[in-house]
Amino acid sequence: MFFRLLMESFRRQRRRKALAGLAILLGTTAVTAMLALATTIGDRIHRELAAYGANIVVYPAADQLEVKVGGVDVKPVSGGAYLHEADLAKLRGIFWANNITGVSPELPVHVLGKTETGSNVDVAATGLWFGHALSNGGAPLKTGAVQMHPWWKIEGAWPQEQATSADGAEAVIGASLAQRLGVKPGDVIRTTAHPGDASQAMTLRVTGVVSTGDASDDQLLLPLNAAQRIAGTPGAVRRVEVSARTKPEDAFARKNPDSLSPKQREIWYCRPYANSISYQIREVIPGARAEQVRRVEQSEGTVLKRISGLMWLISAAALLAAGFAVSAAMATAIMERQVEIGLMRSLGASKATVAMLFYAEAGLLALLAGGLGYLAGSGLAAWLGARIFAGDAPASIGSLLIPVLFPVVVTLALIVAIAGSTPAIRRALTNDPSSVLRGNA
Amino acid sequence: MIALTVSAAVATALLTLYADLDSKLHREFRSFGANIVVTAADSGKGLAADALEQVRASAGPDAQAAEFGYAVATTDRGTPVVVSGTDFSAVQKLNSWWKVDAWPSSVDPNSALLGQRAAEFVADERTVQLTFADRPIVLHGVGRLHTGGDEDSRIYMPMAVFRTWTGAPPSLIEVQIPGGSAQVDAAIARLRQTVPGVKVAPVRQLVEGESRIVDKTHALMYGAVLLIALTVAVSVLATLSASVLERRRDFALMKALGGSQSTLMAMFLLETLALALGGVAAGFVIGSAAAWAISQLNFHTATLPHLGVVPLVLLLNVLIAAFAAFFPVRVLRRLEPAALLKGE
Repeated sequence: MFFRLLMESFRRQRRRKALAGLAILLGTTAVTAMLALATTIGDRIHRELAAYGANIVVYPAADQLEVKVGGVDVKPVSGGAYLHEADLAKLRGIFWANNITGVSPELPVHVLGKTETGSNVDVAATGLWFGHALSNGGAPLKTGAVQMHPWWKIEGAWPQEQATSADGAEAVIGASLAQRLGVKPGDVIRTTAHPGDASQAMTLRVTGVVSTGDASDDQLLLPLNAAQRIAGTPGAVRRVEVSARTKPEDAFARKNPDSLSPKQREIWYCRPYANSISYQIREVIPGARAEQVRRVEQSEGTVLKRISGLMWLISAAALLAAGFAVSAAMATAIMERQVEIGLMRSLGASKATVAMLFYAEAGLLALLAGGLGYLAGSGLAAWLGARIFAGDAPASIGSLLIPVLFPVVVTLALIVAIAGSTPAIRRALTNDPSSVLRGNA
Repeated sequence: MIALTVSAAVATALLTLYADLDSKLHREFRSFGANIVVTAADSGKGLAADALEQVRASAGPDAQAAEFGYAVATTDRGTPVVVSGTDFSAVQKLNSWWKVDAWPSSVDPNSALLGQRAAEFVADERTVQLTFADRPIVLHGVGRLHTGGDEDSRIYMPMAVFRTWTGAPPSLIEVQIPGGSAQVDAAIARLRQTVPGVKVAPVRQLVEGESRIVDKTHALMYGAVLLIALTVAVSVLATLSASVLERRRDFALMKALGGSQSTLMAMFLLETLALALGGVAAGFVIGSAAAWAISQLNFHTATLPHLGVVPLVLLLNVLIAAFAAFFPVRVLRRLEPAALLKGE
């Protein structure tokens, strides 16, 4: 009988149920969408903030002091210590390897030579990765200087590192240098070997003109393997920029891991702080020193914290609004059915039975509409995310839905629906059935 | 009334936050430091002595600026090192990401800050002996500087001492203009016009990245506001139709006593309007308080109530109320007074 009442109530009162259902549906949609966005906002903002460049820098521990002013080496260090390019693949094997989103090694070299028109070339150049596939046995990470510096603007094409041969390579030229030398894409620069070391003469084909807005505008940018040939230092890397997804620094992150107890140290090690990732990099690359770039890392932390905090607070506001909407709709639905309640009561139903019936209705409605709202909200979040943060990887169904949210959202819908209908049910039950039925309630 | 108050409160809170979002976010982005770099047009000569004053005057009172002079000196161990003269109090304000053990006091003119890598190349960090063009100087290192950038391999000292020691003019001024790319572009144009003989360049990644993130957060917030407004509208709709249904009997009585359809509807709509107005008044107060609380919690700065959002909230609320009233009114029209009053 109870189930029949329940079913009939859904069958016969479609319009009223639709209103309450709609309220729950919209509420859960809003809450799911906001929660889904709030939980993924960290990654998305990190991707945007990657535009600010690397947040970790790795260099040889035994390095000499750099004498750089405004990005220009005043006294270029000859010799000095290097890191090994082959060691960089180990970055893909550290504990937080998946949080490393970009790796860009550099090798500054000095280029002497002549352009086609015969003018002398005596410039600084930097060897870099261009779309290098970095792999440690697993799926390769396609990374390099271009990915790490999205504000670089190129006219022409980036050089291909595969095009480097024993005596020739592709290169791009900084905008102000190109102007000074009168070099344009398609031109060739012939470099000469430095006397007295292992350096090689190369023919550099200029494939593009790059504008970077910093000191690189006065440089040649070469594929790393070409720079190593020119300098005669195979496998050498002077400095590596690493972009990693990190957790904003807190007091615990600043602790020295070697001063912590083994258990604390384990916790420190397994959190994606910039400091712990640097620590792990030092562990795998021998003779390296890894340091967070405080300008990027510290500021990223604050911005990230503020934006995700804002998202959580808005989610809370959405939850509040949804709660009001649902409880108002439920109250309406029950208020309309005073007569029905009076009839049931006068036919001998106990207060508990009637209350159960309404709670069951509310619960069923919450489950149905909550489930639908979860789907709609996930879709909405994905759509909003894709629209606002263009350049997301094309989302599959699996990545659209965040399974953890489903129980959360449905439970929330249940709680709100039941809590929202309680005052109305209680009021309906306190009314005297006979007076309700007579029609002067 | 409660529903309308809630809706107005939510709308006020969100709109107030929304209006303030840009300035709040830009404030957060200040922690990235300078977004404009001023250098001498002729790189050999350096900047004029009064360039900093000119830049400060031209950039406006909100901007932060600090000047730097560079020279290459030799340490007591014979290693070349970049020494930089600057104004520590200005740098402290501009570059909040610098991690410094202790900032040099303004009392001691010979105090210096050692970059963590540079510190490894001097014999004694407390009494740093440097030589520039055969002129020796002894600086008192007060602390190490950690940045993870080029600064780590430099030694910083007060500008006045740097100038008398090396005779080198300041070569670079870092300026931070609060605001998005439009403000930065305007400031660059202004600087180029008013300060002669300088090259002004934006720090491109900062300016571009900042505008992009602010725009995106803005869009996200916009989506959230729409979504929440929709939810609130449904809640108002439900509450209003409940209130009408509760009062069916009153309306039926009025109709039976000769009230015309239009009088009844006008009455009902007016009532809704009054409710909406009351809701806006109460909601504005609650919403402003909520916005204030949220920005205190999240940004640690207060958001003051914006009177500018009132018309928008009012319009929104009246629209929601009118829309919500439309459905119950249709129910009223179909009302059969006789049947209802009889109690059927």
